[in-house]
Amino acid sequence: MSITDEMKACLSTAFSPTQLEVIDDSASHAGHSGNPGGDGETHFNVMIRAQAFAGMSRVARHRAVHTALGDIVPRIHALALDIDV
Amino acid sequence: MSDAQATIQKTVTENDVVLFMKGDKMMPQCGFSSRVAGVLNFMGVDYHDVNVLADADIRQGIKDYSDWPTIPQLYVKGEFVGGCDIITEMTLSGELDTLFETNGVAFDKEKADQVRAANA
Repeated sequence: MSITDEMKACLSTAFSPTQLEVIDDSASHAGHSGNPGGDGETHFNVMIRAQAFAGMSRVARHRAVHTALGDIVPRIHALALDIDV
Repeated sequence: MSDAQATIQKTVTENDVVLFMKGDKMMPQCGFSSRVAGVLNFMGVDYHDVNVLADADIRQGIKDYSDWPTIPQLYVKGEFVGGCDIITEMTLSGELDTLFETNGVAFDKEKADQVRAANA
């Protein structure tokens, strides 16, 4: 399973999102640190909307996503998050 | 407490605004660090930069300190504020201005407004 699909599965289970996009942006960073060979799954952008985030601070929302992604986070180089209800 | 944790605590306590980043404020070495440093530089904020690439213990230590897995990390008056996405959102919403004002951190309000106007 690709990391993109792993992330979607984790986030869907944890938050039952109304919208979820996981974009593998690794190719944009080919040759940079984190993806020196250009073929890695390294840089990801996540857009998620879920009622589960209601009432949570920005930091708390990010922490909840980090927790849901578990061991995926240390395996990738960069993770940009756009989180809202 | 390990040396790295003690060093980090001392750094964020002794400096009102601290950015842990890859590279330094004059020459960031990562797009995310560059964006946050760029905002602070443009807003004229006097902040202390720590290059985590220069010290492996600090690079891992700052992630443990805040329980936050990514760099950059911004601290104001010892409190963790967030990483690149959060600082970007707070800049555009004006929350960063409020945070600085509440904590007596000087910055150029006109420059902050320019950032918002350019990204409206």
